[in-house]
Amino acid sequence: MLFAPRYLHPYLGIKMQNKKHNVVWQALFVLTLIIIGFAVYSASQKIDYTWQWNRILPYIIDSSPAETFAENDGQVTINENGTITVDFDNGDPALLIKKADHLFVSDGAFIFAGDKISSVNQKSMGVLLEGLLMTIKLSVISLFFAIIIGLIAALMRISQNPLSRNFSFLYIEIIRGTPLLVQIFIVYFFLGTIFDLDRFTAGITALSVFTGAYIAEIIRSGIQSIPPGQMEAARSLGMNYPTAMTYVILPQAFKRTLPPMAGQLINLIKDSSLVSVISITDLTKAGREVVAGSFATFEVWFTVAALYLVLTSTLSFAIQRIEKRLSNSD
Amino acid sequence: MTRADYKGEEMVIANSVDKIYANNCHALKKVSVTVKRGEVVVIIGPSGSGKSTFLRTLNQLETVTEGEVIIDGIKMYDPSTNINTLRENVGMVFQSFNLFPHLSVKKNVMLAPLKVLKLSKAQVEEEAIKLLTRVGLGEKINVFPSQLSGGQQQRVAIARALAMKPDLMLFDEPTSALDPEMVGEVLEVMKSLAEEGMTMVVVTHEMGFANEVADRVLFMEDGQLLVDDVPDKFFKNPSHPRLKKFLSSIL
Repeated sequence: MLFAPRYLHPYLGIKMQNKKHNVVWQALFVLTLIIIGFAVYSASQKIDYTWQWNRILPYIIDSSPAETFAENDGQVTINENGTITVDFDNGDPALLIKKADHLFVSDGAFIFAGDKISSVNQKSMGVLLEGLLMTIKLSVISLFFAIIIGLIAALMRISQNPLSRNFSFLYIEIIRGTPLLVQIFIVYFFLGTIFDLDRFTAGITALSVFTGAYIAEIIRSGIQSIPPGQMEAARSLGMNYPTAMTYVILPQAFKRTLPPMAGQLINLIKDSSLVSVISITDLTKAGREVVAGSFATFEVWFTVAALYLVLTSTLSFAIQRIEKRLSNSD
Repeated sequence: MTRADYKGEEMVIANSVDKIYANNCHALKKVSVTVKRGEVVVIIGPSGSGKSTFLRTLNQLETVTEGEVIIDGIKMYDPSTNINTLRENVGMVFQSFNLFPHLSVKKNVMLAPLKVLKLSKAQVEEEAIKLLTRVGLGEKINVFPSQLSGGQQQRVAIARALAMKPDLMLFDEPTSALDPEMVGEVLEVMKSLAEEGMTMVVVTHEMGFANEVADRVLFMEDGQLLVDDVPDKFFKNPSHPRLKKFLSSIL
């Protein structure tokens, strides 16, 4: 089966459909995908757009050579061991080039400021890959803090103490009631000015505080879905509240919150694209820059979308694995 | 006063306990019960009579509105009393078992001794296996609760409570959620516990168990304790008209 449902409901799909039927439907699914693909392709043919996928590659892996230019007038000496020395006329310390794959000057040549001396072949990360890395960095760090914030807010929300309960309620309502984009601006321009935050810290703060509010509600509903008898049993054994929470309630709640948590963490990855508005070069901003440089608009955005999809599907796959591992006690 | 200092005869003293819920439901009306060390006391009564509520006040799963509760010489509502320390000494078995579903049977039994008493893992594990063998589940130590029958789960729950080495055991309708054929195995474990001299307070509908094992049987109705008698007299010569009516309706 192409996409096998993880939990087949015992009463569905047993009587009516046998295996043969399933194959037919799966084949139909593939066929439909092909038709849609073809439709998209032929539609794009009509709009007079030249697809140039090869233009994208340099922005993923940059293989342009690293070049060395003369900063001043001077004279080149090629040494016996292959290194190059440039003595400058104005008395600047001599420039020593240790490795060169291509040489653009000859031994003893006089050069002027700005002349290209040599270059080294190299492969470095392109703008898109660097943006992808930034997105991963933003997401992972924000994810870590969002879970901590969410857990604390959830525990405060179900606490008996009105002080912590009200604070948590206020936090969740304010954060969920305002757009993330506005929050990013407020954190960056207002808090950023007061506390002197750099843009990366501001971005992380906005993302984790935002996602934390949603995670708090997910964890709270997870905790409240555990039958009260569990807490009673734990307390009747002499455990105090924190111990009972840590070893009895939260492990069970964690398992139940995994599916909605996966959705929220995927949202976090996608929401991280919004921090590009405060000039963090994440995947989306990198995409915008590449479009400006290459004019390969369609290719760039398809590539960016595919890279996001790689991130989100990896995460969702990982969480499915955890879910499966935890289901052994069911 | 700590638990070790107390050598008194009374394990449980509940003195005119009143419980009024937030919705003004008057669940317990001036209930006074004394349970002596080693005694087995069974509480019966129609549903809604407050018998489970009373049992739950004995380890403060319910707080009382008025009255006094003294467990093993420790005043429950004294400001210096740590309720967690008090509960370590009071095991409880629930109608719905309340095993921890994410932990194996063995770990269910081990959790509290490890985290509350902070005993060594080897010691706790050995004790857990001993207890599980005693309740007839020595073969099942590594399975999860969901793989056990109701009767087996309830026996694990008893072993889990015993792992804290309590001086008092509370049973809240331990057989009410079980299929009839599994009631016997749980009552058997409770009986052996009683024979070993454990102090027990049991809320149940098992009249046979009450008749055979109990030292005293209490009858509650409408939040009031109406009868407190030895089983022989309780069943054969009921002293209260309401009890007479109740017994005739169930037998």
